[in-house]
Parts: sequence; C-alpha cells; structure tokens
Amino acid sequence: MAQARLDRREQITGWAFIAPALILLGLFMIYPIVWSLWMSFQVGKGMNLSFGGFANIVRLTKDPVFLRALGNTFTFFIFQVPIMIGLALLFAVALNDSTLRFRGIFRTAIFLPCVTSLIAYSTVFKSMFATDGIFNQALMAVHLIASPISWFGDPFWAKVAIIIAITWRWTGYNMIFYLAALQNIDRSIYEAARIDGVPAWARFRYLTIPMLKPVILFTTVISTIGTLQLFDEVYNFTAGTGGPSDSTVTLSLYIYNLTFKFMPSFGYSATVSWVIVVLVGILTFLQFLVARDRKIKQ
Amino acid sequence: MTVSPMIAGAAARPVARAFVPGNAWALARRGLVYVLLSVAAFLSIFPFFWMMVGATNTSAEIIKGKAWFGGALLTNAATFFAQVDAPRIFWNSGFIAVVATALTLAISSLAGYGFEMFRSKIRERIFGLLLLLLSIPFAAMMVPLFVMFSQAKLVNTFASVILPTVASIFIIFYFRQATKAFPSELRDAAKIDGLKEWQIFLFVYLPVMRSTYAAATIIVFMTNWNNYLWPLIVLQTAENKTITLILSALTSAYTPDYGMILFGTVLATLPTLVIFFLLQRRFVEGMLGAVK
Amino acid sequence: MSSLKLREIRKAFGSLEVIKGVNLDIADKEFVVFVGPSGCGKSTLLRMIAGLEQITAGDLLIGDERMNDVDPSKRGIAMVFQTYALYPHMTVRENMGFALKFAGVSKPDIARQVDEAARILELGPLMDRLPKQLSGGQRQRVAIGRAIVRQPEVFLFDEPLSNLDAELRVHMRIEIARLHKELQTTIIYVTHDQVEAMTLADKIVVLREGVVEQVGRPLELYDNPANQFVAGFIGSPKMNFLAATVVDKSADSVRVELINHQGTRLSIPATGGTVGEKVTLGVRAEHFGEAGAGDADVTLKIDVAEHLGSTSYVYANSGVEPLVIEREESRHQFGEDRIVVSISADQAYLFDSKGQRIR
Repeated sequence: MAQARLDRREQITGWAFIAPALILLGLFMIYPIVWSLWMSFQVGKGMNLSFGGFANIVRLTKDPVFLRALGNTFTFFIFQVPIMIGLALLFAVALNDSTLRFRGIFRTAIFLPCVTSLIAYSTVFKSMFATDGIFNQALMAVHLIASPISWFGDPFWAKVAIIIAITWRWTGYNMIFYLAALQNIDRSIYEAARIDGVPAWARFRYLTIPMLKPVILFTTVISTIGTLQLFDEVYNFTAGTGGPSDSTVTLSLYIYNLTFKFMPSFGYSATVSWVIVVLVGILTFLQFLVARDRKIKQ
Repeated sequence: MTVSPMIAGAAARPVARAFVPGNAWALARRGLVYVLLSVAAFLSIFPFFWMMVGATNTSAEIIKGKAWFGGALLTNAATFFAQVDAPRIFWNSGFIAVVATALTLAISSLAGYGFEMFRSKIRERIFGLLLLLLSIPFAAMMVPLFVMFSQAKLVNTFASVILPTVASIFIIFYFRQATKAFPSELRDAAKIDGLKEWQIFLFVYLPVMRSTYAAATIIVFMTNWNNYLWPLIVLQTAENKTITLILSALTSAYTPDYGMILFGTVLATLPTLVIFFLLQRRFVEGMLGAVK
Repeated sequence: MSSLKLREIRKAFGSLEVIKGVNLDIADKEFVVFVGPSGCGKSTLLRMIAGLEQITAGDLLIGDERMNDVDPSKRGIAMVFQTYALYPHMTVRENMGFALKFAGVSKPDIARQVDEAARILELGPLMDRLPKQLSGGQRQRVAIGRAIVRQPEVFLFDEPLSNLDAELRVHMRIEIARLHKELQTTIIYVTHDQVEAMTLADKIVVLREGVVEQVGRPLELYDNPANQFVAGFIGSPKMNFLAATVVDKSADSVRVELINHQGTRLSIPATGGTVGEKVTLGVRAEHFGEAGAGDADVTLKIDVAEHLGSTSYVYANSGVEPLVIEREESRHQFGEDRIVVSISADQAYLFDSKGQRIR
C-alpha cells in the first residue's frame, strides 16, 4: 500500500527506524533459518557433516520416536487449541457485559495464570498432580473417579494433565485479546439484535464470532505455533524424558534430545524442526481457508 | 410513492406479543454466568494459593494434598537458601529480563513506527516476509543459533540469552497495529512545530502510546523472565543460570523437595506479578489499541 | 393499536435517579420528538420504551398492554440507532433480512419484504454491499430499512442524524418526514436539535434532568412556553432574556421595570407575580420592533451584525445581557454602534425567579 510518495529524506528515515530490527532479525533469525534448511540435508554426527540429500527425510519415516512425537504433538494441538479458544471466547463474552459485578476481579483472576512463571506453574501442577495429591483428592471428593489416577504413570492421563496445565495457563491470555476486540464493537449492534429478536445463541454465532473472526484467526494461529513448539511443560513435567514411554514426547523435545542429549545429530534434528515449519505452514493455511468469508445463508 | 400493500398490512398483522418471563430467564442466565466465572476464577487462582500454602508445608504434606498453611516455612526457606545462591540467581534472571525487555521495546517499537509511518512498496514486502517468518518455530533456528554462539565463544554469557530475543516480530507487529491508531495529525503538528522525526518519536509518540508500551512490557518481561528452552541450551554453568533453570533442575530431582521448591517458586513468581499489577490498568487499554 | 402510555416512569442507576416520574400519552400514528440538552434523560427514556433499559418504577403500556417486562423484540417496536448499528460483516440485504430469519419468516417472504423496503428507501443498487462501502447517509437509510422490514407498530429513532453533515441532515430529515407519511406508524424520535424537533414532530416532549418540562405541538411550545427553559430551548436564535422587577400590578397586568435599562417600564398582560419580585422578561429576536413601534424602547450597543440575505441578526448588549435582534430588511447597514428597538407587551413573556411562566 504505497499511497503517498515519500521523498528521499523520508525514505532514509524510514529505513533508519527499521534498520536495527532488520539487522538483528537477519543475524539471529533469517541466517539461522537458512542455515538450518541447509543443515537438514546434511547427515553425520557432531560437526562432521556431509551432504545426504533426502536421507534425513527417509530416516524420518522410519523413526518410531519421531512418529510418536508427531502423533503426540498433533494430539495436543487437536484437543488443546479448540478447548482453550472456546473457553477464552466464552469468558470474554461473559465478561464483556458492563452490568456485571466484579468484572475487574474476574478478569484479573482469569488472566493471572499467564503472568506466572513457567517453572512456578509446572512445579505447582506437578505437585498437584501427585498420586495422593490435591487433584485426585478433589476428583474423588466429587466422585468423578473412584481411585487415584497416576497422572504421569499413564500415557493417556499424562497427556490429559499436560493439556489441562497448558489450558490453565493460556486461556486468560487469549481471553484478553477477545475482550479487547469485543470492546471495540459498537454496543448498539447487540441492542439492535435484541430488538430484532435475535436469540442469545444466534447473537454469539452470527454476530460475535464473525465480528471477532480476525482476532480468533490471529489467536488460533499463535496458539497453533505455540502448541506445535510445545517443549517447556513437557520437559518440566516429565523431567525431560517425555515419558511415560515416550507418550508425551513432542517434536521440540525430540529436537532438543537429538541435539543436546544424544550424540548430537544436527542435520537430522534440523530436518525434524523443518517438519514443524511445514506443519505450521499447512495448518495456518487451512485456518485462513476456514476463516474465509462464509456467507450466512439468507 | 404509494403505500405498499406490505406496509399497509402492518397494522393488521401485529408483531407477536406473547408475554415472556424475561426477568426470570435473564436472572437464571445471569446466575449461570456468575457461577461460570466464579469457577473459572477459582481454578485460575487456586494454584497460586496452593503455591503459597506449599511453601509452608513439608514435601510429604504437599504430595498428600494438604491444602492449608503449615509450619515448615522457615525450614523450606533455609533449605532453599542453602541449596541456591539466591541473590546471584535472581540477579541473573532480573538482569536478563530487564535488559531484554528494554531493548525489545526500543527496537520493536522503532520498527513498528517505521513500518507504519513510512510506507513504501519494498518495506511492505519486508513486513509481509516478517509475518511469514513469525510462523517459523524457534526449534528451526535453535541448532544453528547454538552453533553460531559457540563459534563466537559467547555461549554461557547473558548476551547469548538476550540477543536472539530483542528483535521480536510479534512485538513489531503489535506496535505497528497500535500505531495505526496514532493520530497522524499529531505527527503533522509536531513537524510544523519543527520537531525532527526522532524527536516526534521520543516526545510525542512515546508518551501518547504509554498504554501500548505498558501492555508490551508485561508481555515481553513475562516472556523473558520465563524463557526456558534457549537459556537451558546456552547457560551452562550454575552461577550463570536463571531462577527458572535452577528451579527446573530442582524439580527434576528423583524425589523433589516440593516445600523448598514451592518456596522458590513464590519468589520467582513475585516479579511478574508485581509488574503485572503495576501496569494492569493500562494493559487492557494497550491491547485494545493493537487489536483494532 | 400502537398508542403508548407512560405512567410515572422512573429510572434510577443506584441512588442516582435519571428519569423522575414521566407521564406521557402518545397516540397512534403520532410523530413524537423527545428533545432536551445532553444528559436530560431523553435517550434513557427511549431505551426504556425499547426494553434496552429496565424500568425502575412505573408502567409502560403499548396499545394498552403493560410492557415493562416484555422482551424488546416482542414489543412491536423497531429502533434506528445513532451509530446505525449495522452488522459490519453482512451485506445490506443480509442486514435487513437478519431479524426476519429469527422470526420464522419464510425465505421468499424475507426476500419480498426486504425488496419492498429497499424500493421505498431506494436502496436497490446497494443491496449487496457491506456497510463499510456505504456513505453515512446510505448507512442511515439501511438502518431505517432494517427497521421497516420488521413492520413495527412503533419506530424509535435515537439521534439518527447526529453523525451526518449539515446538508445531509436536512435531506434525511425530509426523508424521515416523508416516510412517516407513507408508513403511517407511530414514531418516537430523540434529538438534542430543536430544529429537528420543530420540523418533524406532531408533538414535542421537552425534557430536562429527567423531568418533562412541557409537551405540545411545535408552535404551541414556541408561542406559549410553560417556562423559561422551554422558552430558551425552543427557537433559533434563542429567546432573549432581560432581568426585570415587578413594580406594580393590576387585575390583568403586571408592570415591570427592566433592571439594566433604568426607567424602561412596560405592562405585561398577566395575573401572577407580586410587587418587588425579581422576574425575567423574555422577548424573541423577531419580536423586537422599530423604535417607537412598541410599548417601550431600549437602546442597545451593537457588537456584530450578521447579514444572511433575507434576514439579519444584530448581536447587541445592554451592558450585561447579550441580545439578538432579527431584522428583515437585510440591506440595512447598521453603521452606527447603537440601535434602538421596541418591545411589545403582548409579544413578551414573563418568568418568575424559578423560571416558571407568569401568566
């Protein structure tokens, strides 16, 4: 959108403002990315690399840990992102009512988890998820379960625990985006809809969702990227193992292990990282596709 | 223009006017909203409460799910300070977070302003490219980045932690969005008053965009204070590690001493909470500007 | 069927009462305008009729049925908002048909009714555009179209023209008057602009601080204001007010002396007032006569004269009170810095110190 033609001096000023960022990004982002793309076609251990063509990609298809990590990452993505986005929307819509009492308190409380430090929350959750811990006690008290769940001893429940923890931490963060967007919507639009006799569910479905679409898309893309890169929580909950029996290994954890734990295999770990890039690309594209104007049926 | 049959029929066919117990239904729904939000707020806050309670209990009590304050606070504190060189570690974390936040805000807001105020075809292209890069995960650059820093003999320095984070595409994008709401008349007026572009940025833009900076400060500080994966890779000796790394290591022990660790987590959480509560009022305001 | 009755309607936000007991009858097919300065409660009152605000106390009857607790959509009303409140992601057609979708109207009927409203408002070529592709006046017409489609018995307009520029405002004003003629429905219209009120209304309701100051036909309010507030609010330029003292009174007249024009006295036909009372004399700009033509002359110092072609406004003062005088002979040059005008007793109004009219 080059609207006004800028004169020479303005051009130079423009470059000056963005130059520091561009230099840093070039050095610490673009260069490493290009390098890693090149690396992903290299094979060998440590720094003894040689060109291997598609050898790494072939290796991917035969690597059971990679396939596990891919599956786990997908599981986290498919369950965690929709649950979190849905909850965040729900809370935002509830909190957007200006006649609601204690709005500020509710908002702060729900947002608070995301300002806590990563380690604080993973430690706290880890201790709460202990077999005799408060989580099991609470669930047993309300008779949801009969006997304690061994959260990190069971492949299924380990995933559930991680999904609960991530959702706890990031729902409020996404909610704030929606809340901010909702406050930009003219209130009389909802009043007009009430007078028009549009029921509450339809106001949500046909007004709120479409009007928030850009923000929903934005947060979904950000959350997708975050989930596909999932590392911190898993590493801390499982002491870096991705256990039990690789049931919570994610792609990022696997890359870390390939690079820094096992005999470093830079080329192969770069290939795995490009799997994430490709996945993010595909998923983002799909999300944009889904979010494209779907006219309501008239 | 004639009166249409449809409009003329309006009086004959009144809009349905059945009585709806609007109040009862509205009241029930209102009640439901309060229950929902209360549960959410409780679940959100409980882990904080649990953390503080945990800091006063022994590890055995915590694992048994004891949910009230106990008498082990001093023991936990003593164990923590015995095992962790707290002043040093917190200095590391604080230094990294503060410097990284200041640099990120400076560099990213300059860029956001530059992209929005001085539009040209080529800069728009670059901006588009940056947005594309936003979707490339850190994992993809982690390995070369590590190799770069080890070749530059910068591994295990604060610079190695800070440098890769300071040009944040996300924050540049955020500032550019917010700048769209910055009234261009203000810039024009300042120009007529004889201010140079850097002066406009410093003395007009910056004060006007306080809320935007406040919101960005919360986000960036949080990110840096909590940054885990990259520091884990580059900070290798104990005296250079951040509190996040130290606590993580303690948690990974075979039988972690939760009382002592939770005491540490209370300390580690305080800075982010303080920043948040100091800037909270401006936070939503700032986000609002960016989401428009 | 679509008459409205408001009985002792009150609205309080916490301990702050903003509507203080409004009683009002609105007849079927009547065009009623609520007018008053900002903060007078006119919009709140409208929103209570719409059902967007709870009624704290009192009864609202639409066609004899108590509507206090009835859902907004079931009151037989439609509303046009100041901000138009168009659904930004829907085309004009979708905006107009949206309500009907949820009223269980069949698709062909929706299409027919939408097309009909589009025809009335001449929206034809715009039907597939989004609100952001429309001008302010076009959005306004779509908002009205959306209301028409629902075939309401009562239209509510909340300051619908305040976001338009002056020229468009005049145009839309005429459009709305035409629509009222064509649709034959009750309209309640809120504005702060007394010109809109005067030109559109069958009946004007002047509100101030949550209280109805006066209800009446436009010219009734103009010619016979109940109090100083209405006198000052209705009419442009504003009525002039001169401080005065009652010096004498008889059975059917009150003799007053102007405080800022020593010795200027005149007798106003009225029965109220007491001798020695401080009062205010109100004179409209166009009621100042040539020197000697009225019952008393005052000499004023001219500040500015505005020549509009057909009329001129002379802004003058009497030391402390600024006054406006309307003169028809526009070519007259007010070269001198003084002007002598006359006041006619039968074209002057008297108000007591509380602002109530002394009749």
